[in-house]
Amino acid sequence: MATAEEEVSRQDALQGIGCSRKRKEDPRFVQGKGNYVDDVKMPGMLFADIVRSPYAHARIKSINKEKALALPGVHAVLTADDLKPLNLHWMPTLAGDVQAVLADEKVHMQYQEVAVVIADDRYIAADAVDLVEVEYEPLPVLVDPHKALDPDAPILREDAQDKDTVGQGPRKHPNHIFTWEVGDEAATDRAFDEAEVTVTQEMYYPRVHPSPLETCGCVASFDKVKGNLTLYITSQAPHVVRTVVTLLSGIPESKVRVISPDIGGGFGNKVGIYPGYVTAIVASIVLGRPVKWIEDRMEHLSTTAWARDYWMTGELAADKDGRIKGLRVGVLADHGAFNSHAQPTKWPAGFFSIVTGSYDIPTAYVKVDGVYTNKSPGGVAYRCSFRVTEAVYLIERTLDVLAQKLGIDKAEIRRRNFVKPEQFPYQTALGWELDSGDYHTALDKVLAAVDYAGLRKEQEEKRAKGELMGIGLVTFTEVVGAGPSKSCDILGVGMFDSAEIRVHPTGSVIARMGTITQGQGHQTTYAQIIASELGLSSEDIQIEEGDTDTAPYGLGTYGSRSTPVGGAATAVAARKIRAKAQKIAAHMMEVSEADLEWDIDRFKVKGVPGQEKTMKEVAWAAYNNVPEGMEMGLEAVDYYDPPNFTYPFGTYLCVVDIDKYTGQVHVKRFYALDDCGTRINPMIIDGQIHGGLNEGFAVAMGQEMPYDEEGNLLGNTLMDYFIPTFVETPHWETDYTVTPSPHHPLGAKGVAESPHVGSIPCFTAAIVDAFSHLGVTHMDMPHSAYRVWQQLHELGLDKKRA
Amino acid sequence: MAKQHISFKLNGQQVDALVEPRELLVHTIREQLSLTGTHIGCETSHCGVCTVDLNGDSVKACTVLSVQANGGDVITVEGLADAEGLNAVQAAFIEEHGLQCGFCTPGMLVRAHRFLQENPDPTEEEIRWGMSGNLCRCTGYQNIIKAVKSAAQKLQQA
Amino acid sequence: MQVNLDKTFPIAAAGSSAWKFLQDIPGVAGCMPGAEITETIDDSHYKGAVKAKVGPATMAFNGDIEIVAVDSEKRQLHLIGRGQDTKGTSSAEMDLNAWVVDTDDGHCELKGEAQVKVTGKAASLGGRMMTQVSDQILNQFGKNFANNVMALGEGEDAEEAREELAEQPKELNGLAFAWSVFLGFLRSLFGGGKSSAG
Repeated sequence: MATAEEEVSRQDALQGIGCSRKRKEDPRFVQGKGNYVDDVKMPGMLFADIVRSPYAHARIKSINKEKALALPGVHAVLTADDLKPLNLHWMPTLAGDVQAVLADEKVHMQYQEVAVVIADDRYIAADAVDLVEVEYEPLPVLVDPHKALDPDAPILREDAQDKDTVGQGPRKHPNHIFTWEVGDEAATDRAFDEAEVTVTQEMYYPRVHPSPLETCGCVASFDKVKGNLTLYITSQAPHVVRTVVTLLSGIPESKVRVISPDIGGGFGNKVGIYPGYVTAIVASIVLGRPVKWIEDRMEHLSTTAWARDYWMTGELAADKDGRIKGLRVGVLADHGAFNSHAQPTKWPAGFFSIVTGSYDIPTAYVKVDGVYTNKSPGGVAYRCSFRVTEAVYLIERTLDVLAQKLGIDKAEIRRRNFVKPEQFPYQTALGWELDSGDYHTALDKVLAAVDYAGLRKEQEEKRAKGELMGIGLVTFTEVVGAGPSKSCDILGVGMFDSAEIRVHPTGSVIARMGTITQGQGHQTTYAQIIASELGLSSEDIQIEEGDTDTAPYGLGTYGSRSTPVGGAATAVAARKIRAKAQKIAAHMMEVSEADLEWDIDRFKVKGVPGQEKTMKEVAWAAYNNVPEGMEMGLEAVDYYDPPNFTYPFGTYLCVVDIDKYTGQVHVKRFYALDDCGTRINPMIIDGQIHGGLNEGFAVAMGQEMPYDEEGNLLGNTLMDYFIPTFVETPHWETDYTVTPSPHHPLGAKGVAESPHVGSIPCFTAAIVDAFSHLGVTHMDMPHSAYRVWQQLHELGLDKKRA
Repeated sequence: MAKQHISFKLNGQQVDALVEPRELLVHTIREQLSLTGTHIGCETSHCGVCTVDLNGDSVKACTVLSVQANGGDVITVEGLADAEGLNAVQAAFIEEHGLQCGFCTPGMLVRAHRFLQENPDPTEEEIRWGMSGNLCRCTGYQNIIKAVKSAAQKLQQA
Repeated sequence: MQVNLDKTFPIAAAGSSAWKFLQDIPGVAGCMPGAEITETIDDSHYKGAVKAKVGPATMAFNGDIEIVAVDSEKRQLHLIGRGQDTKGTSSAEMDLNAWVVDTDDGHCELKGEAQVKVTGKAASLGGRMMTQVSDQILNQFGKNFANNVMALGEGEDAEEAREELAEQPKELNGLAFAWSVFLGFLRSLFGGGKSSAG
């Protein structure tokens, strides 16, 4: 007779969903046995290095390769002219535009790729880069996106001059990329006309860079004899890379193998295809030898995908109780020299229209204009779903502005506007269907945990003494898990994802997914899902991703889509296996399927204790004792096309003290409550939250990519680009609620990007709140001590009393 | 540039290499000596993923010339575990979830190993300062601090 | 990235001597540490080169100098210099106005206003130091200029000036230079200069 204890121990033995089990990938990492792209060594391998433009906008008058080619150990120097016969000097981007692989007659951004040298080792390659002589004729530079559409603005993209579209709708100016509108403009304007109160706030979300610790790179190896191309690459979407390589090179997908091995952090930066990859592939094909290209940190920060650079204006119309009647948003988006925005095809501003947030807003209208400038191309979703960071920032900031204008507490105004639990699934005014949420509970839990009333009292007391203390509160909703193929595709491929699972005769499992981990712990979490579904210990479940020769087609990992889509595919595939296993078990015990029930790790005959078969036993039988007419084996594949996105949410609260003489911000407390539905591994979730909060801290407090008037990128090394160390990083407190997703097979939503999305406006809110009693409604990021000091100085707060 | 012969102890074994005077220790270790645990993350000595132990000090191998290691004693992440298994720091990192993508981990471990020899019973504040030469993007540092503290306790009990 | 500088160099010689020397373009170019005129195209166009050494690394710029205006009445020279480093990774442009002003004691001052624009790797990596570096370059220039003018004369001071000039290295020595830049930076923390970076 099974006891409750026995059940618990069987459950624990699985180490499945909900268990904070240690990670399966850790042992090799702590022994330095990871396999990152730069660790790949192939016989005869050569090294590529890139000659880059010092100018942001210039014509190329000549390129002299002689001295470089004369250096012993140099095998080739390629320029656009060498790629023209292959029609590879330009390549398509994910956003429907084109990007120069090697500059064709002109350069459009500083550090743009002009030539690539291939040499025996990286030192010779670097020497050769210095020997390539390029003559430029500088052209006028455009760095201010507000001037991009001026009638006398310099024309940047001469190649696109005559095109009336560059992939995202009609253009109205040579430097214009797209205009995207959503919502009901007339109804929203009416709401504003009739409103009792309106607020407007301009805000800039600076250009920042994900800067994972591993830079981008690849090893391309073309086998002349077999006609096969193997590509090791730092990519968050290996199958997409394979398809693109085929489209560009003509080599069929069956002869292209893309391997994303261990990746040292992605954060959205490793989604796009960079010229370095293409030139390495071409060089390998031309020379018939493997070619390795690994960029250095300056190249990484200067040319690979950055994020944000949105100039936004948020407007809210409300009644005098703070109930929102309408939301209106205008955005100027700076995309740099080429529109290589990483997005599903039809979404030029990503999912920015999630900007109604956690609130019940009757009408809204959004307009986004994208323009070209002489800066690096992009952007991407840096630890967020496409443009969700910008959207959440906009609504949370503007709502605080409304709260300050009406003198309503910032927590209270949110409570008054939240979508209520009974309204789910909730259709937003801009077309999203929020699947589930309980915003009130989350908010109440946080306010109680931090003693919000006590904090406000403490703030008043400090203000009376002339001290600056701020409390920031953000209640965000994210949209993750792209996405239903009817609305989401990458270059025409629907954004489903996949899992293929095979159970071996002796009961262990191998499974492969179309996603690719970059530190999220998939080798552990997917195993946990399968463990719970199949009743086999996650210890015996092997997870593989990233090799396109073996993994089923997937769209990769970014925008927190692995659990919502890949996790769903995994659960559904596992259930297909369990369904077959049930038939086999019934056959083994000579009962009908309907007589069986599933209990943790075994099939039991209802009402007959002791009559049971474990999944392990069924696995063995699957290879020698199956019912008449059934195929042997125990495996399944699922391609999961999600019916909807998932909408994780959270409440974050931040307390800061600001030194009124130096502007230094001290984060006294940061409390983060997240709701991601079903939690697969709480330990991993917490780790992800810490990491996301830290990256949010970096963005809010110091990251930026400033350009001067000549288009020089200042601060493109780690001397200047702010990556917090142990010392600056605050202590994080985490909490959670669980509101499962009704449409997801496991009830799970994504989570790892929520902390980044939610914390950035939270830090800003806290700092602004510290000055709110003096009439300050907004301060742009980054909140470095110097910039905060400027606000202090303006208010005259940094003067000591005489 | 004419190459020079250098010889040093690497994880307890004597090794030899022929290097140009300008060759960086991190390249020699990774490419000539095939120990790819030590990584490269920047060229301005900020990130610390290249951290190795040289003559009893934590150094950033991306700004050490290989010729400087001649006659020296180098420990990399591959030299931390012994015949009995993972060392206390490595085990603590797994136990406390002190890693995610693993790229900063070798440098963190080699630094933590030396740090705990310098300061066997550190406070959280001291850990933060003592490890500040190593960056991490994934973990937010909190669990690494727990791991170092836990390793410190285990080593003291040993 | 742009730096605006204005400087004043006292010269222990008559204004007429200073103005005479100011019009000797190859001579003036020679006052810029590490610089020289390599070719005279005509009397308002020259080609020049600047070499800077930091330890074992050498940076070499090639460029053009154009004399935009010479005003004998105001004793003012306006020139524009443009250069690219030979590897093509950086470029610089300087728009300089220099003029001679008499002082009460029969001596004079050389006054200069310059806008220096730098693009490329030098701007990205060296941007922060631009003001101090430009400042120091101009300080050395001023000293050399003054010595050159005085050397044209007679007497002890002229003799000293000629000796100092003979000791000037042909190239800009980066490490020694960096030390003087650092000292200049420290001084500026306490004095405040007239330079600004834009």
